[in-house]
Amino acid sequence: MTLARPVLHLPHPVLSRPAAALEDIDRKAVDLAHALLDTMRSSGHSVGVAAPQIGVSLRAFCLDVTGHRRARSCHGELVLFNPVIIEHSGSEIGREGCMSVPDLTGDVARATAMVVEGLGLDGEQRRLEVDAFEARAMQHEIDHLDGLLFVDRVVAPGRVFPRRVYRAE
Amino acid sequence: MNRVAVAAFGPDRPGMVAAITGVLMGHGGNLEDTSMTILRGHFAMMLVVAMPEGEAPAVLEDSLSREVSALGLTVVVRPLGDGTGMADEASASSWSVSVYGSDRPGIVHRITRLLADHGANIVDLSTRVTGSFPDLVYVMLFDITLGASADVDRLQAELATLSEELGVEAHIRPHESDVL
Repeated sequence: MTLARPVLHLPHPVLSRPAAALEDIDRKAVDLAHALLDTMRSSGHSVGVAAPQIGVSLRAFCLDVTGHRRARSCHGELVLFNPVIIEHSGSEIGREGCMSVPDLTGDVARATAMVVEGLGLDGEQRRLEVDAFEARAMQHEIDHLDGLLFVDRVVAPGRVFPRRVYRAE
Repeated sequence: MNRVAVAAFGPDRPGMVAAITGVLMGHGGNLEDTSMTILRGHFAMMLVVAMPEGEAPAVLEDSLSREVSALGLTVVVRPLGDGTGMADEASASSWSVSVYGSDRPGIVHRITRLLADHGANIVDLSTRVTGSFPDLVYVMLFDITLGASADVDRLQAELATLSEELGVEAHIRPHESDVL
């Protein structure tokens, strides 16, 4: 049985609202994690899903950059609750799309390396060093937890483009 | 759908967008895609506007010209067909091209001629002149799509040869977007 849920599109208010921290990694938190993972797995073109995208205003996301061409660090399939960026460095502009923003992509500047802390599925504190594509993807997901979409971050108004590939699927 | 293209151009000053869009709203128009920017101190707008059936472009143009002429704006309104233009093949790839060098006539023409000969479709282009006279530098940034049959290696080689001839630097790189 899949726990995959529909992905909300902008301008849904949940996508623009800062999400609340989880108080406990309890049964409900683990259910949320599995819903996130199933939603990500069921959309072949996505490498991450944040809780607000499935209508849950809590600080949780899942991510998996395994096999991605531009990935360097790779922690495999992971879930992080209450993530905090401890350190970041570098800056690089790249083009991003988002399942919650159909039809558009945009150029966004992101740190190229980060140290991120948060709670794993087992409730234990995790400390992750990420770079390259995994760092970009994680910043994109953490932005969702702060109520920000990539369209809030594009480097200039002209740097938003029609998306070509995603709709074909 | 009754769509029109509105183009307006004039010395930059506050209130131009509000003035134009106010008149469009008064005629029942709804803005779709637009692009507006400052070019050498002139504000340039291009708007695709959905108008109610029966709103004639010429009437709208008269109305706009009357209402915004005090702002020094030149306005043109033309009907748009239903066609959405050329559709990219699903296998088309996206590339970013940057070109820069000493300003001289013909850079844009020569570069875009080469790209057109390779079947490239320009989807976004902006150019700026920077630096101060006589050391003006021309910067040209654009995005293109290439069909699956395009020979990218040959395009890159020919772009390098042409750049050398024009005395400019040119770079082309794939621009893949990721759904995160």
